[in-house]
Amino acid sequence: MLYLQLRGELWKLFGKKRTYIGFTIILLTQLIVTVWFKYSRASPTMARILEGNGYLAEQFLSGLTVATVMLVPIAYVLLPLYVALIGGDLVAKEVEDGTLRMILSRPISRVRLLLVKWLAGSVFAVLLVAALAGFGAVFGHLFFGIGGLFVFIPGELFSVFSASEGWQHYAVSNTFLTVKAISIMSAAFMFSCFNVKPAAATILALSFFFVNAVLQEIPYFREYQHFFFTHHLNLWQLMFGQPIPWWKVGQSLSVLVGFNVSFLVIGCAVFHARDIKS
Amino acid sequence: MIDLSNVTKRFGPRLALDAFSLSVPERSIYGLLGHNGAGKSTAIGILLGQVWPTAGDVRVCGFDVTCDRRHALAQVGAIFEAPAFYDYLSGRRNLEILAGYTAAVSPKRIAEVIEWVGLTGRENSAVKTYSHGMRARLALAQAMLPNPKLLILDEPGDGLDPEGIHEMRATVVRFNRELGLTILFSSHLLTEVEQICTDIAVLHSGRKVFNGRVADTKNSRRLVRLRVGNFDSASKDLREKGLITGVVNGDSVELADKVDTPEVVKRLVEIGLPVFEVTPVRQTLEEFYLELMNAGRAAKN
Repeated sequence: MLYLQLRGELWKLFGKKRTYIGFTIILLTQLIVTVWFKYSRASPTMARILEGNGYLAEQFLSGLTVATVMLVPIAYVLLPLYVALIGGDLVAKEVEDGTLRMILSRPISRVRLLLVKWLAGSVFAVLLVAALAGFGAVFGHLFFGIGGLFVFIPGELFSVFSASEGWQHYAVSNTFLTVKAISIMSAAFMFSCFNVKPAAATILALSFFFVNAVLQEIPYFREYQHFFFTHHLNLWQLMFGQPIPWWKVGQSLSVLVGFNVSFLVIGCAVFHARDIKS
Repeated sequence: MIDLSNVTKRFGPRLALDAFSLSVPERSIYGLLGHNGAGKSTAIGILLGQVWPTAGDVRVCGFDVTCDRRHALAQVGAIFEAPAFYDYLSGRRNLEILAGYTAAVSPKRIAEVIEWVGLTGRENSAVKTYSHGMRARLALAQAMLPNPKLLILDEPGDGLDPEGIHEMRATVVRFNRELGLTILFSSHLLTEVEQICTDIAVLHSGRKVFNGRVADTKNSRRLVRLRVGNFDSASKDLREKGLITGVVNGDSVELADKVDTPEVVKRLVEIGLPVFEVTPVRQTLEEFYLELMNAGRAAKN
């Protein structure tokens, strides 16, 4: 039954055109960035940074490096937007359209319904991250070929890896990026369970995300950064560390699991108490 | 099949249902009547576990909906006014999705139901291309998929053309007669209710003001239309003799308890009034309903 219900939720989700907006925009953005990188002065700038640190630029100016360069801003801005959009729709849109009454005239418990919907949202989040990683890698290699990985996040990270090591770090990083995507989707999903419009649920989740990000960026709040949701969402970046700080990864992962469980429990409690009327 | 016992529902300060009790026997077609905001949809929402009662017990198919909806709703189908579907998906896909929330349904059963409601050939088209009547038939199909014993219809004729209403009415009767389904039917269309329901409950501002057989509503007042030489003096005399209790619409009289038409005719002949016509009048459900509503309004004031 769970399979049938999840299949139904995925049919609904992937039957809608708006579900593909995120995939399309990410594909176009990565294509534009790769072409721009190739035919602008961005590559020489990167080469200078590498050579200034004693590395041979040709070895690291690769498809993998460009894919990672694109990954960072997209993971910060576009990814939260599209997962919040879908998460905010999951319950509130069905209430708005009246289809939830049709579902709730059937013998499925509200908690089970929410769990199935959350699973469908998580599948979307995983696929969007997979698309982000896949499109980036494909475009990067088409325009720049195979080579080592160079990751530079000003003030946070400077790492270089051989091609084979780079692939592993890129894959693991994207795997942990799904945790970020699912967590933001869960926040939007929680708001979607309240008596609000789908757009309001999305905006509330994005506001929660951006307010955390703003607080985290204030230098005087640095010592409190482990309280911020967004601080832990960046665990995927830790995968580019040399060596990977696994204890920090474990810490952030535990906090995010806690956030996700809280989002789900609050969402279920609110939804369970609601009267669903036309 | 349905047992509501002293069900009360408050939305904030507003009392939507006030100690509402209802017992719907198996294989009956039960009409739920009332003005807009009377509490019909709230009662149906409570029956389907979509609205939580503030107080009272709600049992469907022998199970408490509030704590065992899985069993209570296992053999229940429901249709709402303006049924909502996933418009971007096909009719068949919609049925598969909705059926998945009850139990696994074979493709054969889906095809059977599609054929039964007359959507064969259009089942793979997107629902957004369906006419209102086709959407109503799809709603019927989704309600029939789990092989229900109980059908709950919340104003299913809303927005349908006369042909569609007739078709819906015929289908409801067919479900009841051929499949033995119990049907709870909420509607504003009194003629429709009068034609198909065996029993009715009438709600007024959240309170039940009548509950009984439709046949009883027609005999609730015994009216006789009189065409006599002088209606005013005839009615005055009949009232003085205790044969009638009042005059209705200026041409009919309401017979007193245990008085029959021949006694009235006998008296009219005795006092020498020419009698041209004496016709027993059967009260329509509409008249009965309007009387109840007026009485309800008067009581409220």
